[in-house]
Amino acid sequence: MDAPSLNRAASAAVMGVGGLLWLSALLFMAQTAQNSEQFSRLHPWILMVNVAGLVVLVGLLATKLAQLVRDWRGHVIGSRLKARMVWIFGVLATLPILLVYFFAVQFLSRGIDSWFNLEIRQSLDDALVLSRSALETRMREHLNATEAIAEALMQGSTAQLPGRLERLRQQSGALEITVATEGGAVIAVSKGLSHDVVPDELPGEVLLQVRQGSPFVSLEPQAEGGYLIRTAVPIGSALPGSSGLVLQAIYPVPERLGALADTVQAAYQQFGEKDYLRRPLKASFILTLTVVLLLSLLAAWYGAIFTAQRLVQPIQDLVKGTRAVAQGDLDTRLPLTSHDEMGFLVHSFNDMTKRLRRAREAQQRAQQAAETERANLAVILARLSTGVVSLEPDLRVRTANRAASMILGEDLEAGVGQVFGEAGAVDGMLREFTEACRSRLAAGDVEWREQFTFQSGGGRRVIMCACTPLPGEDGTPAGYVLVFDDITVMLQAQREAAWGEVARRLAHEIKNPLTPIRLSAERMRHKLLPSMNEKDAQLLDRGTETIVQQVEAMKEMVNAFSEYARAPRFEMADVHLNRLVTEATDLYRAQVTNRGVTLDVRLDPSLESIVADRGRLRQLLNNLLTNAVEALEGQAGGEIRVTTRRSVRAGEDVAEIAVEDNGPGFQREVMGQVFDPYITTKTRGTGLGLAIVRKIVEEHGGHVEAENQPGGGARVRIELPVSEHNRGPALQRDARRPEPRRERA
Amino acid sequence: MAQASRVAWLVCFLATMAAGTVHADSRVRVREASVANVDGLYELDAAITVRVPDDARRAIESGLTMRLDYEIEIARVRRYAPDAEVATLVQSYELGYHALSQRYLVRNLNTGEQQDFGTFQAALDRVSEVRGLPLIDSSLLDPEPTYELRVRALLDLRTTPDALAWLLFWADDWSVASDWFSWTLRP
Repeated sequence: MDAPSLNRAASAAVMGVGGLLWLSALLFMAQTAQNSEQFSRLHPWILMVNVAGLVVLVGLLATKLAQLVRDWRGHVIGSRLKARMVWIFGVLATLPILLVYFFAVQFLSRGIDSWFNLEIRQSLDDALVLSRSALETRMREHLNATEAIAEALMQGSTAQLPGRLERLRQQSGALEITVATEGGAVIAVSKGLSHDVVPDELPGEVLLQVRQGSPFVSLEPQAEGGYLIRTAVPIGSALPGSSGLVLQAIYPVPERLGALADTVQAAYQQFGEKDYLRRPLKASFILTLTVVLLLSLLAAWYGAIFTAQRLVQPIQDLVKGTRAVAQGDLDTRLPLTSHDEMGFLVHSFNDMTKRLRRAREAQQRAQQAAETERANLAVILARLSTGVVSLEPDLRVRTANRAASMILGEDLEAGVGQVFGEAGAVDGMLREFTEACRSRLAAGDVEWREQFTFQSGGGRRVIMCACTPLPGEDGTPAGYVLVFDDITVMLQAQREAAWGEVARRLAHEIKNPLTPIRLSAERMRHKLLPSMNEKDAQLLDRGTETIVQQVEAMKEMVNAFSEYARAPRFEMADVHLNRLVTEATDLYRAQVTNRGVTLDVRLDPSLESIVADRGRLRQLLNNLLTNAVEALEGQAGGEIRVTTRRSVRAGEDVAEIAVEDNGPGFQREVMGQVFDPYITTKTRGTGLGLAIVRKIVEEHGGHVEAENQPGGGARVRIELPVSEHNRGPALQRDARRPEPRRERA
Repeated sequence: MAQASRVAWLVCFLATMAAGTVHADSRVRVREASVANVDGLYELDAAITVRVPDDARRAIESGLTMRLDYEIEIARVRRYAPDAEVATLVQSYELGYHALSQRYLVRNLNTGEQQDFGTFQAALDRVSEVRGLPLIDSSLLDPEPTYELRVRALLDLRTTPDALAWLLFWADDWSVASDWFSWTLRP
């Protein structure tokens, strides 16, 4: 059993014992009012117990009321309902109790007064007077008899006094006749056999009255019941030889008369006694009633508070429980204190919270599963090379993965919550991409797939994008998902593969017939030329010369294609890049100087050897320098700058080679395709120079980019990994870049 | 804490109520008391002064009775211990009014003897004196120790049937007692 239960049990026990004590005291009090001698002695104590109970109840009630007032002022839940119930219960209990009390006091007061009405008092007085008259008649008779005895005694001598007294006593019927002096000294006495032998002294009041010359007569009640009549008269001067004597004669009252007189006396005394006690009797009854009233009232009010508390407690618990549930505490359980409707309500509340808790747990599990799925999806999306952007119906970014940011060149993850594309640069690819998507969505096309081509600072970019609506509740899209990929590199690779195939076929299908053609032309010239006339000889000579020249040109072109298409045969070794650059530039120095072009070589002394194929690198440099020289052809003040630099890219050492010129630069329309085969704006060349450059760079796991300089001119920048070890990480710079192609010749 | 104070208050209240039932009062006082060795028997002579208010006299004439008790104690005085009680004696009188005979009755409740008097004062005088009341045989007292005699009078108003006595709780307070009148006796 817990502490609150023990307290409740202890309180109930104390209240029970107190209630029994109080009830017993009330019953005892009622017993005292019923003239029980035993309880009358305990009356003060019983009263004290009741008063003590009253005080205890007052204290308890005051405590409860004070608590109720504090709760009311403190706006404690349920205090107002409790106060209202206490007030109603209290008033309902008080009114009938006060009514009963009022009428009970009235009836009691009037009832007690009716016991002592005037008629009874008058009757008893009359009875007393009547009895007294009857006895006084007899007393006068006995006084006359005593005076007659006194007369008789005065006739004789003192010596014969005892005998005469005895005779006179018997004649008069007296019980005792005494002759004494006025001082009280007995001279002679005569007593009946039933009377005491030893004569009593005459009472002082008898002697006093007789000395004053008045006869004395009185009715004397006896302790054992009955009455005696005492008479006394002076006889002193009458007896010879004596003076101032007193004659006392005591007469009996007939038993019947005495009994009647006793009855009257007893009734009169009891009535008088009760009449005297009427006021305290009424006060006592009223006090008893008042105590009972107060105890009942206080108990009723205390009971009202107790009952209200019992009734309100479940409501308070329910309110607290409801608040706790509203705040998310679904573990709230209310104590089931009864099995009535309130108990049913509490049970329903507990059942509701239990169901809510289960539902919340299920929801939490589902949410957790969803979170897990979302996290997994986020991981997957983050690792995807495909850009995925989910949009709200109002085109605000809901989610965006890292690939999307990398493809579009803007941090879309930082722009979550913003309208798609607003955070991007005005002239950036994101803005163009957003406009393209918006135009499709604005046209009501919510599910589509399209390839977009954009021009960015890095060149032409091709984006393949698919849009899918997210299902909404009422059929309208709850958002959109954009899935897109940068297929520029893939398309480039496809083109390169196609060009590789073309080159291989050219090398195979065209190169082989060229030699027989040339040989045939030369043989025709050699055989026929001497036998022909001059005019025909000139025609044949020009024709065969043309054939040979064009075959050579075609052979060069085929060789170039063959070179582009042939499978690399790497001979990787440590190559001193600066030295290789110096050698390559030295070959061109004389040529460019003659054309008035300045060749500026700036080498980074910290750049030492790199692991590479020396021959392929030399070809790379030759192609770049040839390109630059050809770009400056016919331009005065041309300038070529070759720069090497050691730098760090993505945590790895790379060697940079930049070839710049101040020529016309790349045309804008071919910016994204400068490394494609057969893309050239020059009148000469095969259009494979930069394509081969990129091929060599990619074969070394490096990176190449071409751009126009702000001040004019083109700039081709190459990054090559310094060592074989970090060739892989160097490729991480562009994760979407395919592996370097390995083609057969 | 509050509960303890309530209990203390209740105890004080009950103690006050209990102490109020009998208390010394100036309405009765032992005026004089003495003992005399008469033929080997110590006899008490005592006189008290009783002042009876008119209301009490009316109560008596209405039918109530007045009881007067003489409480007499003989204790041996001890130096280092409480006095040892040797003998106690209560001499009781009852004073009432007989309406039919218009006489005041005095009854010795120890002997049953009854006397009647024509006036209230005569009856009151009778109960206000005790003469020659035998207390104890002198042979029962040791010659060496010192004895202390104590006398006091208790006055009470009674109803004829005792069952109504509780009502007097609400009437005037008649349960009064005099102070102890004490003196030493060396046998």
